[in-house]
Amino acid sequence: MDFLFDYISVTTFWTILLIVHGLLAIALLGALTHQAASVLMPVRVPSDGFVTRFRAVKGAGYVTAVCVLWVLTFLMGAWIYIKYRIYVRIPIERAGFWKTQGFFEMKEHMVTIGLGVLPAYWYLWKNADDAGTATARRWLTVVLAAICWFSFLVGHVVNNVRGLGS
Amino acid sequence: MKALASSQKFRNFVVVFSLSATVIYVLSDLSGWAPFTYHPATGRLEWGRTLPRQNEGPVMYWYGWTVGMLIGASILGLLGTLLPERVVKRIPLALIWILPILAIPLLVYSLMPFWTK
Repeated sequence: MDFLFDYISVTTFWTILLIVHGLLAIALLGALTHQAASVLMPVRVPSDGFVTRFRAVKGAGYVTAVCVLWVLTFLMGAWIYIKYRIYVRIPIERAGFWKTQGFFEMKEHMVTIGLGVLPAYWYLWKNADDAGTATARRWLTVVLAAICWFSFLVGHVVNNVRGLGS
Repeated sequence: MKALASSQKFRNFVVVFSLSATVIYVLSDLSGWAPFTYHPATGRLEWGRTLPRQNEGPVMYWYGWTVGMLIGASILGLLGTLLPERVVKRIPLALIWILPILAIPLLVYSLMPFWTK
């Protein structure tokens, strides 16, 4: 990996990783929000409206993408977390932004729990024809979407406090 | 993949894995137990939960909690494949999404120092 630093600075390298982490999170957020909308408000009568089109997607088609994106986003986050712990968290604590840090800790907990329930999510969607598991499939998808939104917003706020360019 | 998705043993695995992953993670956080500790400033890894060393910066337990969760849930999930189908079918699938919600107040409580400073 050291050869990279002949071409880009160390700061640029970690900034690129942070941006990739953010882009993966956006893709995951979009996929999970579509899927959650499709299970919470399934379309019974097709129409041309934006909201109707948004929730008219076939949720089963998103499951593999969501699993892959969750794992990739998680791995990227785990990688940059090393630098976060020293170069971001310590200044945040010194500045007294304790609640910001608390929310970041909560994000870290929730995305890990999300990782833990991902196999069940995959299984339930791969058996989407099984009406007996529809409730579990619906609410697990909503819970994962909620975790993703929470984590995305917290990550965004923490980045505003001390992220890119700091 | 289709064969996996229709396998009863795999169903047992994912149900037990997902339920136990949430429980193991929350218990690890509440108890503070971690299979290893990472020192990000030096790259040092130590078995178990260890305290920061002088002049070596902070320690991180989260990697230990995550790996511990994945290993523990995998072992329990594999044991779950040995259970009779009727036993696993008695486990309510709703617990898979309810447990993460129930975990929230416990995790918020574990972070109390951040909310009260």
